[in-house]
Formats: sequence, structure tokens, C-alpha cells
Amino acid sequence: MSAAKVKMREKKMRNQPASVQYPSSQGSGQEGGDTPSTGATGGDGPSDIHRSTDRQKKHHHRSGWVRGHQRDGGSYDKEMPKYITGGAFAKARAAEVSAMLKAVTKTTGSSHVFGALPKHMRRRAMSHNTKRLPRRLRDVANRLREKSLQAGSKKKKEQAKCKSRKARRRHGNLLLEFNRRQRKNVWLETHIWHAKRFHMVKKWGYCLGDRPTYKCYRPSYRAMSTHCLLQDLSYYCCIELQGEEDKLLASLSQLTSKEAGPTFAAVLCTSGKRQGSVVVYRAGLYPSQPLGPVTFLWRPRTQGSTHRQLWIWAHPTNKQDLLAELQSVCQCTEAIVPPLVPAATTAETGPTPEPETRPEKTPEATRLPGTKRKRNCKDAGEPPAKKILGDGTRSPTCPVTWRSNSTGIVINDLTMEIVRYRLIGPQSHSVLAETFEAATDCDERNKSQTSSLWWPEHCKDESKMNLHRQQADVFHILKDIYSTGELPAGTVLGLAVDDPRLTLPTKKVKALPSVKQTQEVDEAEEEKRRELMLRGVPEHCCQSSLWDQSVRDNVTNNKMSEQELNRMKSEVLVPGSRLSSTPPQGRVPVLLVHQPGKQVGHEMNSWGAGWDLLLPKGWGMAFWVPLVYRGVRIGGLNMSLKHSQNKGIPHFPHDYPDCPAGVCFEEEQEAELLNKFKRRPPAKRTNYIKHGCLAPFRCPWQQLAEEWELIAMQTTTRTDTLTEEETTSRPDDSVAKPQSRFTVLSIDSKHTPRSLQTFNILHMNRKSLRLLSDWCRPTTSKGQRRCRVGQAPPLDSSAARQFLAEHGTSVVWVRLSLPSKGKPELHAAVCVPVAEDLRLLNKKLDGGGPQEPLHKNHFKSRIKRKKKGAKKAATSSDKTDGKESDLPNLTTSTENPKSSSESSADLIFGLWPDPLPSVTSHCSRVTLGWVTQGDFSLSAGCGEALGFVSVAGLLNTLLDQPAEHRGVVLLRNPASLQYRLAKINIEV
Amino acid sequence: MTEPRNPGMSSTAPVHPDATSPAVEMDPVEYTLRKRLPRKLPKRRNDVYVNMKTDFRAQLARCQKLLEGGGHREICVHGLGLAINRAINIALQLQTSSQGALQLAANTSTVELVDDLEPEDPDEAGEPMTRTRNNSAIHIKVFYPDPQ
Repeated sequence: MSAAKVKMREKKMRNQPASVQYPSSQGSGQEGGDTPSTGATGGDGPSDIHRSTDRQKKHHHRSGWVRGHQRDGGSYDKEMPKYITGGAFAKARAAEVSAMLKAVTKTTGSSHVFGALPKHMRRRAMSHNTKRLPRRLRDVANRLREKSLQAGSKKKKEQAKCKSRKARRRHGNLLLEFNRRQRKNVWLETHIWHAKRFHMVKKWGYCLGDRPTYKCYRPSYRAMSTHCLLQDLSYYCCIELQGEEDKLLASLSQLTSKEAGPTFAAVLCTSGKRQGSVVVYRAGLYPSQPLGPVTFLWRPRTQGSTHRQLWIWAHPTNKQDLLAELQSVCQCTEAIVPPLVPAATTAETGPTPEPETRPEKTPEATRLPGTKRKRNCKDAGEPPAKKILGDGTRSPTCPVTWRSNSTGIVINDLTMEIVRYRLIGPQSHSVLAETFEAATDCDERNKSQTSSLWWPEHCKDESKMNLHRQQADVFHILKDIYSTGELPAGTVLGLAVDDPRLTLPTKKVKALPSVKQTQEVDEAEEEKRRELMLRGVPEHCCQSSLWDQSVRDNVTNNKMSEQELNRMKSEVLVPGSRLSSTPPQGRVPVLLVHQPGKQVGHEMNSWGAGWDLLLPKGWGMAFWVPLVYRGVRIGGLNMSLKHSQNKGIPHFPHDYPDCPAGVCFEEEQEAELLNKFKRRPPAKRTNYIKHGCLAPFRCPWQQLAEEWELIAMQTTTRTDTLTEEETTSRPDDSVAKPQSRFTVLSIDSKHTPRSLQTFNILHMNRKSLRLLSDWCRPTTSKGQRRCRVGQAPPLDSSAARQFLAEHGTSVVWVRLSLPSKGKPELHAAVCVPVAEDLRLLNKKLDGGGPQEPLHKNHFKSRIKRKKKGAKKAATSSDKTDGKESDLPNLTTSTENPKSSSESSADLIFGLWPDPLPSVTSHCSRVTLGWVTQGDFSLSAGCGEALGFVSVAGLLNTLLDQPAEHRGVVLLRNPASLQYRLAKINIEV
Repeated sequence: MTEPRNPGMSSTAPVHPDATSPAVEMDPVEYTLRKRLPRKLPKRRNDVYVNMKTDFRAQLARCQKLLEGGGHREICVHGLGLAINRAINIALQLQTSSQGALQLAANTSTVELVDDLEPEDPDEAGEPMTRTRNNSAIHIKVFYPDPQ
């Protein structure tokens, strides 16, 4: 009897009275004698009361009615009872009857009511709508349904059930629901707009649009290269630093290095004229522990004051580390608890120092910043459920401000306080110019009285108005510019604009530049335009009221609601015309920040330039819709990845494997890809072992860098002993030789456990990068003029050794272009071509590069054995618990000496188990690195890939290659055996 | 990009590095040279900007298509810097292939180009500079003469 049958039987017997036994239970010895004979009566026949009563019963049966099939009726006669005791007999029968009744009422097996219905009466929707059932079954069905609902999802939509749709959709209730839903992942202000049109993903504590639901990959690309693409980047976190300039710079200098290019202290940036970008490292640990790239913006100096304000914009995955680091370098440990109800309580609660507690460390507090300032400021008469602006998920008592007693620096966490939109494309300035109008002056009569709004107050100050007029002038000149790329990179322009909802066109229009022909332009304007193009926006025009907390709050709190605005519009005499006067609360301070386009490399210069638009919170949708009405395309996260790919720059956090955020991203990506891989049946999966792909879902950079370092050491020592002729005259030999060494290496590398991260990325050590970039180029290609040969030392073994001494374990960011065929994919391997491959290049064969021979799957037998073992275990473990039986089985499979190190549970068909062999020498071509972004590039018209290669490996390769073929490598996708020839570019 | 761009590879406006104005004497170690794109003007359908990156035949075919299939009576071929040669070449080819039906009218002009010089000195005291330089351009009108 199988285990299932035993179980079933036990279940049946549970409700039986002790006196009633089924015939199959042979164990009860008392009955052993007489039961076999009663086989025909089956289930509830025999009883164990008295042998005598039994006999009597049988007798009774015999005399009365006899049921069922009886082969030899005579058998009963032998055990016929002589007499029956009435009481005992009745008792026994009563027990039997009650057991029977119980069995009848209790439904066993599938407890669906539909089982009671004949097949032809069943209908599909019965389980949803019980009214489709016959009435007699309805009650049962209802009960069952309720039960299953409760069991399945604990009180799922309990509340929604009791409310009607109308009630649920009522404004206040809807907002409550929205606030509940964004407790875990915060919504941006444009969330609802996006959620209707985008595939949303929950990432980094936010709900973000990934890609539109409609097909628009190519149109979005076209928008970026010819018109304008709009993105909501409000999820970027802003951290504000205030303090004396020299103190700020001194503390910040610990985070950066001048080797890697301009830092926070760059003259142009400190003046506030330009936005800067920099890669931040942990304090004093350059270049080993990077945190990630940030952009920053200084507030322009005010006269006679050294007090400065600095905004640092960081990615949300990066923010926590950055904030902690900033607090430590600025010694800002005193958290200032925001006053709970500032309006009601006394003037100002002093900065209550919170000793040593770092509330920001907890994950939910970290990314869920933002205050309920708005709610607090309003009086209590408001409805309780207010739309939360900024981030309402954090408790209002959570500190966002830290101050240092020693340096006087104040750190302010402005996450979700400022809305940031990015416009990409050459026409983005014309979109801006058409959407915005510089704020109009307020009326004369308003000037005299004091107002709670910021703009009338602003108007009173003549110097401020002067500044505003100048800013408006600059903004007007923008219209005369044809392409956004013509402006100096990173220019900043402060502005106050009218509410853009007032000038909303009735239909979507495409904003086009209105460039006048040169004849029409008068001299002065032309001069201004030239000035703007050459010098950028003058320094004083970069000032904006957006920097002031008070102004931001004022604007946010006094925003006119959509409803009110529509009412005013409906009262206009001529329908559809503009409002005669701008309402006093309809002016918003904004900041426009120019984003440089492609700056590296030779092709597609300044592609993807654009503007960033910074707004006070709460105004997101008021600006979003008017921008959309100017014919821009909207992109999601997907498009920002493509944008950086076309620009040839690394994208955060995808391409920063040395930053904590990048490591985290790689792990997530691996898990995701592995899950996707496992969802396919094993026969339909790519067998990566056979393709010779060791790690298709991640890139073991660490191992790569170390292996190449060893190889480089060995080759350099070898070249020391040998003469130079080896590298030049016998290229085949020099390539083939290292390969013999790799086997040795691979054993080596297995034994050394690596926990410490030693590899690093040559981020922007510009000098080294430039040198490497020069070496990568073929020296004799036509049209290539090397004007600075004298400075760049030519590539030879001594120069390479010197370089390697500095950057031996580094990997370097490269762009690979495939001139002929092939579309690189994620994690494609970059390999070193052997001499025959280069000869292939000479012949210009269109068939592409060489092929990788198929590898053998050594793990196949092991997986099979494991499977078989598992099956055996299942069959043998009949009575024992399943878990116990598995364990000994595992040990039997791990008896195999080879697999002793790994647990066989890790074996996945088609994937290499965890301790990887040497990654460099696994295939027929030596691996240099991997691709982290690869696609068909619409801008280049061929496959393009971005990734990292080992510096040591690259230099070794370059040394071995003949001068005219320098920088040619092979590229192979993880799921393919075909190598493709590619050209390597290092762009500075 | 530290060294002058390869003229053959520039995107739309091939420029000669030698054409710099002598006023700004820069130390190449201290500055990174970044060239901005030339100023663009609104483009009509019958404007053809010639560059050195696209295949010559493709550009010629494009012009022919505009004149024959596109129904334009005249087109303008613009070339800047190194592409002047090519623009002239295209115009002449168009004329010969039309057996003299087309006429040419050439205009030359000077285009102001902007370079950014980014300082690279370690103490970050240098002001970034912008300089302008001039480059020649040609605008050739290729048209069918009026019947009268």
C-alpha cells in the first residue's frame, strides 16, 4: 500500500467510531477469523461487538433481505448467531449509522459544489457569480467562496469591498488609497500620467516608468537626435550643502581627486555658471573605493558673503553612502529635528541635537525622505487626506538636516523637494522657449501692499527685477539658436516664469525653432547671440529664487489648483483665449541647466545635448502637460540607458561594477537573468557550457583583472630574458605561448579565495586614458595625423611595463564598433584575435570572424546522476520523511572527488557551477573583458558595444599586434559560437 | 580629444585645424580642445549639406533624386571646409549628367566656428576659454534655367 493510500485511509477512519472497523484493517487480531468471509458486504459490514452478536446478525440477514453479490451464501450459516442482545445490537448500529451520516455530510476530495451538478449544467462563470448556480446549491457555494477568499488572500480588498466604486473614487478616498500605495515605493508627481502609458517598475524605492506601452523605440531615438525627448528624473536625490566656501571645498576635496579631472573646486563651477560632474570616492580612498558619479551645482556668489550653497545630485542607490560620507567629512553629526507643527507651536524650536542616532541608516528612512511641510502649514480645516507632495512616506520627525558645530556646514537632504525634468535633443530649447514665458510684472496697485506671495515681494526689489529682466532677455535669445548643442556645455540659467498652464495650446503642436534668416536680424541681437554662444549665460543670471527654501515652500503652498484655473478660464469672454492677467500666484522660479551632449570620441559630436529643468515640488504636472503638448516624446528608464549608450558614457549603476551600487545592481541582474533562464525547460535553454561561456549572467571582473595581472607579470619577465625579436618577428609564437601558461594559472586561481576587491576602473585618470587611447589606434591608417607624437611615447614593452606598474589591475571602459556584421549583446566576451584572424581581416571576408569549437559538457553526467539519485531517494523513502531521505542521497553524489567543493544543488543544466576555472583561457581565444551594454546602434548604423577590458590584457594584446592592426579584437555573444571582428576605441 | 580631429571623420563640418586665429596661443598640455558643431540654419527640403563621412555616390544620388523625382527646380549644395571640394564635385557631376540642362551659381562665404578650451591644470585655476575661428564654405545653386 502506498503512502498516499495509507493517508487516504487514515483520513476516512478519522471520524469512525471506535467500534466500527473497515475490513482492510487486518491488524486487529480479534477479527482475524471471520472477516474474510464477509468480503462482499464491504465497507460497513462487520462489527466487532461480540462474536455472538455478529453471528446473530448474519443469521438475521440471512433470514431477512440479503444484499449484494454472495458467491456462496452457505458460508454464513456456519457463523450464524443463536440470539441477539437487543441493546448492544442497537448501539452498534447507531454508531454505524452516525458514522455513515458523517461520511455523507462531509465532502471529501474536491469540495466544489459543481461536482454535484451534471456536466451539461455546469457553466463557466459559476465560480464568479453564484447566481448562475441552481438555488439549492447557492448557499453552499457562497460559503465555500467566502472561505476560499479568506484563505487565499488574507482580507484582500476587505475595505474596498464594503465601499462602492463611487465612494472609492471620491477624491479624498482616492488620495488616501494613493498614499497607502506609495508607502513602500514612492511615486513621482507624474506617476499617474506615467502609469497610464508606461510599464512601471519598482526600483530604488520609487515607482518609475520603464518604457512606454506603445511602440516607440525608433521614434524616441529620432526625437533625441532631431527634436526632443522628455524624461522625469525627479527620483534623483538632491543633497544641499551650506557653509563657508573654503571649508566646504576643504571637506569635499577628500572625496575627489584632481587626477580624475575637474573636481568640486573647478573655477568655472564654483562661480555657479556651469554644472559640474565628478566621480566621488570614499573619503581619502581614491582610487580604490568609488561611490559613483554625481553632478553638482553651486549657487552663484552673493556680494560680500563667503557663505555658499551647493547642490549635489546623486542617484538614489548612491545616496545613502554619499550622505554618510558627506556627514563624516563635514563632521555634520547633529541632526536637526524638523519642528512638528511650525505654524502652531512657538516661533522656532531650537536645533535639538540628536546624539549619535543615525536615523538615515535604516533603509526606509533613507530613500523615503521628504516632509509633510504642506500638510503642516495648512490649517486644520482642510480635509484630512491631502495629497502628499514630496515624500510623505517618511515620518515628519525624521531629520533631514544636519549641522556641524566645528565647521558650520549644514547638510540638507532635499530629496523629492525639487522636481527635475530632462529634455534631450537639439530642439529642447525651442520647446522650452515655446512653453515658458518669463514672468510678467505684477500690477502697480499690488506693489504697495504687502503680500504673502513671493512674486509681489520680489517685484518690489528693483535690483531683483533688473536681474529678472536680464534673465528674460537671455531666455529670448535662446529662440534664435538653432541647436541646443551650440551652447557652452553645462550652462545654467535662472528664471521666473508664468504658470505654463495659462498658455496651454488646445491641440498638441510641435515646437520648432524660429530662427530668423541672418538678413533680418539686427546687429545688437546678433551680438547678444554670439556672446551667449561664446561665453554662456553671464554669472549673475544664474541666480534663481529656487535656491531659497522659503520661496520654494511659498510657491508650492500657493499653487493654484487645476479646478480653480479651469473656472477662471471658463469665465473668459472669448472661449479659448488667454487669461487677461496672470493670477498673482502664477509665477514660478525655475532653473535651467544645460546638459552636454556626446563629448568623447570623434563621431556624433554633441549628440544628445539638452536641458534639465528644475522646479519646486508640487508643480510637476503643471509643467509636464504643457511640455507634452509641445510635441515631445516621453522616455523612460530604458531610454536613458540608450541615451548614455549612444553618448558612449557609462550609465549608473549599470556600468560601475566597482561602486557598491554597481555591485548590488550586478547581483540583482544576475538573479533576474538566472530566474529567466530557469523558467525555460532544460532542453530549450542555451547550454552555456557547450558555448564555452563561463558566466553568462555576470562578469567576474575581479578574477579577470587578477588573472591578467599574473599573465602580464609572466610575459614581461619573459620578454626581459628574450630579445625583442620575439614580439616582432614571430607573432604566432608570442600569442601561442601564453596559452600554455594559462592552464597553470587556472589551477592557481582556483586555490586563492578572493574576498577583497582589488580591481578598479580607470575612471577618468585622463592622462593614462589618453595614452592608452593613442596606443589603441592603428598607426598607419590614412588620414590619421599624429601631431603630438613627440609627447605620447610610442608603444613598446618598456612603456607598457611602466604603465602596468601603475594600473596593473585596472579595467578600462572601451567602445567597440563592429564594422561588418553582428549585434553584440549583454555580457558578450571581448577576446584577443590570433594571427590567422587578423589575416582574415585582410581578406575582407564578409562571413565574419572565426568560430569557437563546441565545448564538452562535463557536468552533464553529474546532473544525470543527481537526478537518478533523487528519483531513487523518492522511491526508497516510502515511510520515512522526505527530507531525511534526501540528505544521505546528497552525500552519495558528493562522493565524487571532483565535485567535493560544491554542493550539487547548485548544478543547473547549461550553467557552469560556481568556482569558475580560469576565465581568460577558457575558450580558444583569450578573453580580455566583457560587454555591459551592446546593441545595434541607430546612430552608427552598425553594432556597437560598451564594456570593460583589462588594462594588462589590452596592453599585452596591443604589443603583440602589428601596427596596422592595432586595436582589433574579437567579440562573441554568450549564446553564440561566432566571433566577430571589432574595433576597440578608448575615448577621452 | 587632444589632437586635431581627423578631417575625414568629422560629422558635418570638416574643419582645418590650421585655420586657428593667431591671437590665442595655447599650451596643448594645459587645455583640452573641444570643437562645437557649426551653427545650423533652418534647412529647406532642397538644401543639401555635403559632408566627408557619407559615401560620395549616395550624396550624388540624393541630389539627383531631388532634381528629378523630387520636382525641385533648384537645389542648394553646401560644403564647409574640406567638403568644399566634394560639393563642387557633386555640382559638376550633376551638370554633366544632365547634358548641360542644369546651371550652376556658386557663392562662397565664411563661417565662424567655436572651439572650447578646457583647462587641465591640476590646481584648477585656469579659466576655460572659447575661441572663434573662421572657415570657408561654398553654397552652389544648381538649377534649371527658366525657359524664356
